[in-house]
Amino acid sequence: MKSNRRKLLSMLVLTTLTGSLAAACSSTKSADPAPSTGPDNSSAPAGATSYPLKSAKTLTYWSELAGNLTGVKSAHADVPFFQDWQKKTGVPLKFSAPPTNQAKEALNVLLASGELPDMIEYDWLGAFPGGPEKAIKDGYILKLNDVIDKYAPNLKKYLKEHPEIDKQVKTDNGSYYAFPFIRGDDYLRVYQGPILRKDWLDELGLPIPQTIDDWYTTLKAFKEKKGAAAAFSVISAPRPFNELGNGAFAGAFGVTRDFYLDNGAIKFGPAEKGYKEFLATFRKWYEEGLIDKNFATVDQKALDANISSGATGATVNNAGGGIGKWMPILTAKDPKALLVGAPYPVVKKGDTPFYGQKDAAYSPGGQVAITATSKNAELAARMLDYGYTEEGHMFFNFGTEGTSYKMENGYPKYTDLLLKNPDKLAPAQAMSLYIRGNYNGPFVQDKRYIEQYLGLPSQREAITQWQKTDVDKHKLPAITATPEESTELGKIMTDLNTLVDEMTLKIILGTEPVDAFDKYVEKFKSVKLDRAIQIKQAALDRYNKR
Amino acid sequence: MMIPVIAYYVIFHYAPMYGAVIAFKEYTPIKGIIGSEWVGLRHFQDFFGSYYFWRILKNTVIISLYALCFEFPMPIILAILINELRNRKFQRFVQTVTYMPYFISLIVICGMIKDFTNSGGIINTLFTYLGFDDKAMLQKPEMFRSIYILSEIWQKIGWESIIYIAALMSIDQEQYEAARIDGASRWKQIWNITLPGILPTIVIMFILRMGNMLNVGFEKIILLYNPSTYDTADVISSFVYRKGLLEFGWSYSSAVGLFNSVINLTLLILANKISRRVSENSLW
Repeated sequence: MKSNRRKLLSMLVLTTLTGSLAAACSSTKSADPAPSTGPDNSSAPAGATSYPLKSAKTLTYWSELAGNLTGVKSAHADVPFFQDWQKKTGVPLKFSAPPTNQAKEALNVLLASGELPDMIEYDWLGAFPGGPEKAIKDGYILKLNDVIDKYAPNLKKYLKEHPEIDKQVKTDNGSYYAFPFIRGDDYLRVYQGPILRKDWLDELGLPIPQTIDDWYTTLKAFKEKKGAAAAFSVISAPRPFNELGNGAFAGAFGVTRDFYLDNGAIKFGPAEKGYKEFLATFRKWYEEGLIDKNFATVDQKALDANISSGATGATVNNAGGGIGKWMPILTAKDPKALLVGAPYPVVKKGDTPFYGQKDAAYSPGGQVAITATSKNAELAARMLDYGYTEEGHMFFNFGTEGTSYKMENGYPKYTDLLLKNPDKLAPAQAMSLYIRGNYNGPFVQDKRYIEQYLGLPSQREAITQWQKTDVDKHKLPAITATPEESTELGKIMTDLNTLVDEMTLKIILGTEPVDAFDKYVEKFKSVKLDRAIQIKQAALDRYNKR
Repeated sequence: MMIPVIAYYVIFHYAPMYGAVIAFKEYTPIKGIIGSEWVGLRHFQDFFGSYYFWRILKNTVIISLYALCFEFPMPIILAILINELRNRKFQRFVQTVTYMPYFISLIVICGMIKDFTNSGGIINTLFTYLGFDDKAMLQKPEMFRSIYILSEIWQKIGWESIIYIAALMSIDQEQYEAARIDGASRWKQIWNITLPGILPTIVIMFILRMGNMLNVGFEKIILLYNPSTYDTADVISSFVYRKGLLEFGWSYSSAVGLFNSVINLTLLILANKISRRVSENSLW
């Protein structure tokens, strides 16, 4: 026993001594404190990473495969972008991916198994219960502050130059937790809104609807004169009227389906008067057969079928993945067919819409965290930092020069491989093979991507149209709760959201009268809505102090 | 000879029970089962105090009772009917046809149910002819349980009847002959010979079923329900799926699972006891 203890003591002394000695040495030699951690020859001095790194180690990477690659490629290893990424950074990667639409369940199992890959690409801010601080505290992901300081000079530089984004990508405690996806331009942040069949409107001699009343007239005309069985249809998975969660229609009555800001105070839309009016309106529309009868079960596939068969003439969806996907299908049948973006509806003509879809510059998906158990944090960080270099920026947004883009007068122009794919892939799909500019990832998105991606004038006009809202005044910033708060908030929100979904569906379907709304508001109180608002308010106060 | 058997039970059935202690802890995989902190009965309190506790308990019990009343007797009836068929070939044909649906994957089954009951689907269209309104049936809370149980019967009736058919085979044919000579009608024969002959099997199946009372299959519920039918469709397991699995609450789910098992065990013991008193048939 005794001798053992003595051995331990001497060893401790020895290691501390050598440690401080090494530190002293390196500080005299150079200002760079990053010592090589292993035999890996990739650990070049920090701040001067040059790619490719020529790593002997293979890193493991967990990530969902982009949705529009479904049916095109089944694994990351087959996607040219991910092959090239490994070549350019010089770090071999071994990918694993969850089954489509099951990322959350799969991540749950992965975390429970305790055997984590080096990197996990996930929405740690919005989708991980408890948020990033909890993920760090529970020991899943690494707090990146030191790592970024030492090994990610390019990201660090970008954040330094953009303090308003820096504020968004860290928690209240100032912890960095992921290599973020950043929308590099305001224009990239709006991509969703109401969409209509303009050719039907023209045929019926109707203007583009502005107010809720206009919408009623339009939908009625669509149903009666164009035979649209489901005049208005919208994706309802995972929650009913999922796409309306961004404020379309409910926004006309001055509320959203979620928390929002009203003159600096946080409010919960479904508990406010305006939501009742929204429900009453939709109930009327549903009763008159203007809304898809199966709306509670509509998914992407059902909506695609509705639009392309002409059963639906109005929806809420994206300019790229919606208008861009449907237009070729529609025009193949009817050359006159035209989908356009409509302004967010208002009640009184001439009003600015209260709310609309607008992502924060720091967008939730595509962020990559390094796991707390990873033995290769340094290598992973250097590899991920590539996305924020000049070269990486071009690669992520435009792919490889000569293959996916050509420089024309200093402007990276996508080739026909992407825009008019020889294998008849839609541009969105072809792009996902060679670039990540059209979805997300650890890089800064470039505006020049969207300028070319939205090939149709109606898509570009739609974006301009959808930007005209007051969303900036009402949207909550990317606030984070503390781990304790978020456990509590999580519990409240499951019950609260269940209630909201039930109320929305039951009142619209007519199972319960509109006046049942007041009963639900009472119920909100008993599941502690007030406490949820308190937590949000506290988080907002902390955010403002960041 | 006993050693491998004992080892099997210890390793695969008793050792995993240790994992149930996470129901009393705030479990995170990194800290492990031992390292996670104790929280006592907090997860149980959370569950019992949950806003939806009574609703999901009620739904679970009602769906289980429905299954017991309507689904449980069906395979027995089918087995007796098949037994009454005199044409061997036809008998086999009926058997094959009825147990076929059991082999279709649940996802496909639920997709079919959804398509058929949607507005514009086959079943719904038939119902509209009969004067019902054309609304997606799975959006009506009052229809959910019926759809659930009916499809359950359709899918499992043939499969579950196999065990009763096997039991029927062992009934002594001479009893029927004797009864026929005595002038017993077909109904009388079923009532006095067939049913008593398979009663022990029925009782055993019933007791076993009691031990699964609260385990309403969550896969099917989750595939079929939506918020407008939560009122009648949300059961303990689907609630735990939403709350536990999607929110990474391993301890919480495990607490509810433990609660479930305790109730099931109690019911099993109770059913066994009653049956031993009443019919002298029992598991132990």
